[in-house]
Amino acid sequence: MLQFMREGLSGRNGQYFVIVAAVMLVAPLIFWKLDLPFAANAMLLCLMFSIMAMAWNLLEGYTGQLSFGHAVFFGVGAYTTMILMLYYGVTPWVGVFVGGLVAALVGLALGVPLFRLRSHWFALATIAVGEIFKLIFISWDYVGGSAGLQSPIVPEEQKLYYLQYAGSYVYIYLALGLLGLELLVLYPLVKSRIGYYLQAIREDEDAAMSLGINPFKYKMVAMFFSALFTGIGGGIYTVRFRFVDPFAVFDLISVSVYITIAGILGGIYSFIGPIVGSFVFVPISEYVRVYIVSRFPRFYGLHVFVLGVILLAISLLAPEGIMGWLEKRGYLMKGRETGEVRKE
Amino acid sequence: MIGLDYVANAVVSGILIGSVYSLVGMGLALIWGIMDVINFAQGDYMMLGAFVTYWAFTLAGVDPLLSVPLSFLVTFALGVLTQRVVIERVLDAPMVSQITATFAVLLMIRYGAEAAFGPYTKRIYVPYADVIYRFGTVSLQLPRLIAFSVSLGVAVAFYVFLKTTYTGVALRAVSQNRMAAYLMGINVRKMYWIAFGIGVGISAVGGTLVATFLPIHPEMGGFYALIAFIVVVFGGFGSVFGAYISGIIIGVTESVSALFISPSLKDVVAFLLFIAIILVKPTGLFGTEQR
Repeated sequence: MLQFMREGLSGRNGQYFVIVAAVMLVAPLIFWKLDLPFAANAMLLCLMFSIMAMAWNLLEGYTGQLSFGHAVFFGVGAYTTMILMLYYGVTPWVGVFVGGLVAALVGLALGVPLFRLRSHWFALATIAVGEIFKLIFISWDYVGGSAGLQSPIVPEEQKLYYLQYAGSYVYIYLALGLLGLELLVLYPLVKSRIGYYLQAIREDEDAAMSLGINPFKYKMVAMFFSALFTGIGGGIYTVRFRFVDPFAVFDLISVSVYITIAGILGGIYSFIGPIVGSFVFVPISEYVRVYIVSRFPRFYGLHVFVLGVILLAISLLAPEGIMGWLEKRGYLMKGRETGEVRKE
Repeated sequence: MIGLDYVANAVVSGILIGSVYSLVGMGLALIWGIMDVINFAQGDYMMLGAFVTYWAFTLAGVDPLLSVPLSFLVTFALGVLTQRVVIERVLDAPMVSQITATFAVLLMIRYGAEAAFGPYTKRIYVPYADVIYRFGTVSLQLPRLIAFSVSLGVAVAFYVFLKTTYTGVALRAVSQNRMAAYLMGINVRKMYWIAFGIGVGISAVGGTLVATFLPIHPEMGGFYALIAFIVVVFGGFGSVFGAYISGIIIGVTESVSALFISPSLKDVVAFLLFIAIILVKPTGLFGTEQR
């Protein structure tokens, strides 16, 4: 792993990485000093969606399995963290990871039937799975039914144990740490033999199979890590907002499609593309939602309309995403894992 | 124990609501079959049909039945526009671009409508809304009966259109072999406009029919789009008439399963059925082998 870090941090891209990391570490302090809660919250959401969009991209960008069902893993992660905290008093320091693991197990269980499907059939089935989970959680009383679950405010001395702080400032560091963890896990993974197997499956599943790669096995590996980190993203949601309900966490548009847009906007054939996409897309969405829609509540829905315009523009004008576009123009050193936009 | 009369009632009401599902599914199947594009925004064109009807009724007092052609024409025009501006440009693009492009259209229509009309549930009170006929233990609501008749009429008219007119034959030719049709002098591009226009127009008629007996709101399309996918998958890839039959089967399945399990879980049954079908026979009940 150290070797990968040394390799990844050398060269110009490595310098960019160090600078960006430093800015990210200092930014919450600046937001806190200047009292900018909106900026801090937007940054937290950017990081949360970065974590999930990168995880999603392991399935789409690397393995070629377009999922519209990542809300399932997000929701399972969020609910697991909440239930452990609320019913069993387990600290979210542990609960977030347990949530990720439970989501990963759900992912493996879903992978067994879903990976028998290809291309758009897979995408359609993931939408249906998302709806099934939403409907089941709505009518499941143990998890609070349609009302959802809310964690109570805890006394001062338990704040660290229950990770309860005002505003988003502290949570940004939590999300940064988890994003760092994700980079440490996924970067060696995609640089390893498995990463190349996944790309071979993406390019041509039959050809990969004829070379002795078992597509199902490696799709399951991708699914495991994808669901794991998406579930961890759900855990961050729980500790920050202290409230989960099926309509919010299993939502097709505001979870699954948000992740998809962030990933595609950044560029699915780039390792860090989804992070770039999240940091471009989430602030726009948050700004329109908080400033424009709250000023003109009559036009509720406008923020999602704007997302539609963004998504349409990328789909038609730059299907390779921001990173792919920058690379094509020669503004970035070409990453080894990126290639031409694949034909079907 | 659930009595037989309940089951009979559920079957009948399933057939009636299923005929609306059929229309949405037929539109999706037409576009899918001819262009090999999955229109994720299908349910939202249906919602537009419902809202055209609502506004025609509220502002001008037009009876929903008279606004069937109106909602067809409005969404037909929008469909042709969508085809020209969006779909044409992603026809040969990778699958992910096609999906995200139609998804973008979905977001723009659904939330554009929400911003324009407000997120509230609306309802049309037609004068004949409460007329109920009883046949033994089975009771029929007049608006649902009308919806079924209109839906059947539209399906028959569409069948005749595809079989007898030049445009219909050309559409079928394009769906079978784009290049051969082009070489025979068929304007493929224009056929695609027509296919997308008719596809979303038929679904909009479904929206109009639903508006006479169910409340409507800008996000209603999401549910019907999922149902439409189930209908198409069940009826067979690109099979327009399979879609009609399977719409009714889905409607009946849904309303009968609501008798035996909690009504809030009745849609779970439909979605599980959907996944089961694509796993077992992705070509559907009435479809032919593809690829």
